[in-house]
Amino acid sequence: MSNLINHIEADSIIIAQDDQILVTGAAGFIGRRVVDHLLSKGFRNIRCLVRPSSNTAELLRIIESYHAEAAVEILAGNLLSRELCNTVAKDVAVIFHLAAGRGEKLYADAFMNSVVTTRNLLEACRANRSLKRLVNVSSFSVYNNHRKPTGTLLDETCPLEAQPELRGDAYTFAKVKQEEIVAEYSQKYSIPYVMVRPGVVYGPGNHNIHGRVGLGTFGLFLHLGGFNTIPLTFVDNCAEAIMLAGLRPGVDGEAFNIVDDDLPSSRRFLRLYKKNVRSFHSLYLPHLASYLACLLWEKYSHWSQGQLPPVYNRRVWQTYWKKTRYTNAKAKERLGWKPRLSTSKALSVHFESCRKNQNHD
Amino acid sequence: MIKVAIIGCGKIAESHGAQIQRIADCKIVAVSDREELMAKQFAQRFAVPGIFTDVSVLLHDAQPDVVHITTPPQSHFPLARQCLEHGSNVYVEKPFTLNTAEAEELIAIAERKGLKITAGHDDQFRHSAREMRRLINNGYLGGPPVHMESYYCYELAGGYAKALLADRNHWVRLLPGQLLHNIISHGIARIAEHLTTDSPHVIVHGFVSPFLRNLGEVEIIDELRVIISEKGKTTAYFTFSSQMRPTLHQFRAYGSRNGLVLDQDNETLIRLRGARYKSYLDQFVPPLEFAKQYAGNGYRNIRKFLANEFHMKSGMKFLIEAFYESIRGTGPVPIPYPEILRTARLMDAIFSQLPRNFSPPNAAPAKSC
Repeated sequence: MSNLINHIEADSIIIAQDDQILVTGAAGFIGRRVVDHLLSKGFRNIRCLVRPSSNTAELLRIIESYHAEAAVEILAGNLLSRELCNTVAKDVAVIFHLAAGRGEKLYADAFMNSVVTTRNLLEACRANRSLKRLVNVSSFSVYNNHRKPTGTLLDETCPLEAQPELRGDAYTFAKVKQEEIVAEYSQKYSIPYVMVRPGVVYGPGNHNIHGRVGLGTFGLFLHLGGFNTIPLTFVDNCAEAIMLAGLRPGVDGEAFNIVDDDLPSSRRFLRLYKKNVRSFHSLYLPHLASYLACLLWEKYSHWSQGQLPPVYNRRVWQTYWKKTRYTNAKAKERLGWKPRLSTSKALSVHFESCRKNQNHD
Repeated sequence: MIKVAIIGCGKIAESHGAQIQRIADCKIVAVSDREELMAKQFAQRFAVPGIFTDVSVLLHDAQPDVVHITTPPQSHFPLARQCLEHGSNVYVEKPFTLNTAEAEELIAIAERKGLKITAGHDDQFRHSAREMRRLINNGYLGGPPVHMESYYCYELAGGYAKALLADRNHWVRLLPGQLLHNIISHGIARIAEHLTTDSPHVIVHGFVSPFLRNLGEVEIIDELRVIISEKGKTTAYFTFSSQMRPTLHQFRAYGSRNGLVLDQDNETLIRLRGARYKSYLDQFVPPLEFAKQYAGNGYRNIRKFLANEFHMKSGMKFLIEAFYESIRGTGPVPIPYPEILRTARLMDAIFSQLPRNFSPPNAAPAKSC
């Protein structure tokens, strides 16, 4: 345990250094950083599950930088295969479950790649007596921000979306259902788990401006966030929180929201983006106008029986564009996590990456 | 009230669910998927009371009047046969079956049992496609088509393509015509609709594009050119490409008097005047006429949108409605059975001539026309 450094002490984690760890979605934007953090803490018995279509170059580079090629396993496969789930979950002490159906527009795809896969993994966990924890990486989008006063603090006690099918967003529907099935299996089969709900994860590798800031869908960038706080978390900070959620004792069954400190407003983020990455025209839509636009879209979508899909509606507005406050107090207190990179420094790194990416394009 | 069941709760089932909900006097009473979670999520979103994982139990308990089969193509035939034998009418998603023999058997069972069956060639029932059919039936071409050109292209991008290229055991690879089998039936059916003989001559050239070869792919044929000819009668070209841009979905029909060009992507139908103008007028007048036609198409599309008739899957709604009408006995089947069989024969003939870089384990032998 002597290799454990920085924040982690040997007696404050639930597994031994040579215990087997599984990271699903290990080649992804967050997953490869989780692997990086685990390696940096001296863990070597890491099984990385990646999709057959994943680009593993960055993951391999990280593993090589720790000279851990011999110990770290990379398996390509799909969690839709129960056989594969049994193989990858065998003798694992901690599972960091990051694989999910991101970017899927169709409910069937999102559901299959987030919920059916998770169920398969949970089924495999039932037979695994050595499992000490499954960390399910979820999302802020699962919260129900409906009918709450403006400026409400969104923390882990807030209710989840009870009718996710009304959100008009396949990803949210799948994530809510994924959380439900994790909780169900935990209750039925005593599978220990921790739920991690990151806010908006940004950093090198994810260069899009998040929808909470605004939308470029209609040709002109509509700035919708205004003075709202954007619940950002830099990808390395987030990955460290996920790692700690898998290692800290006494947090089974808990959920943790992950956001960084000193969060910028949407307006400030957009201004910095334009200054540091590229300049473009944007139109600020006041909250009342964006709310009415979402209301109108929702009503028209319903009346027209889906001639326009119900992707903008009041629930979406309340989730993404209603003024809300965020906290990371629980993660700091219970996980001993602290965003290692300050938001100002992280934004500089992010914008530089965006700039390079743009020049490359 | 028509009682509807859906078997297979994947992607295309969502379109079926959404369109069936828009049709009066029918109700989805049951869904089935081998994966119970998939059936449950579909049932929750579409308020379906019956959730099943076993088709036999569904048929017994729900007693549906019509079953929509939206599973991968390998299971279309056994499922459709089971539903027909039980006494339900069947809507089978495209491709109808794996081969002509299966298609013939399904249609024979349907006719023997006095039931109706149709194939999910919904693109043929979009607004412009219906208008084209009306014009051809009214003699605009001056008789049957002399020649047709059908383009049905596909951009290999997105999750489906990534999964297919990465997974050597993907179900699409196991189809007799692999990627082509799962996509081209819409474009082939357009040609089949206007042919009159069952066994036209078919010449096929198919290959793996340089783009895919550079990715190390050697099995999936993603470039296809086909010549189809009825002896002394109509001829047709069919083109499938993953690489040409734009990714066309067009159908052109040329008669002895006039021609028609259908563009599915832009939802336009353009009339090609067979007669020429005199002298320079042939360069001055037609461009203005085309401009007028395109403006008219744009106006019609906007008008239909404002009238709430321009849904992305409007063709599917029309086809389902027409099929249900045929079940009620108030209309003919929307796709005549000879047309379904002709499409199947053309596809068999195409796949039988493709270079075989891969042998699917359970593929039925393709018939040559």
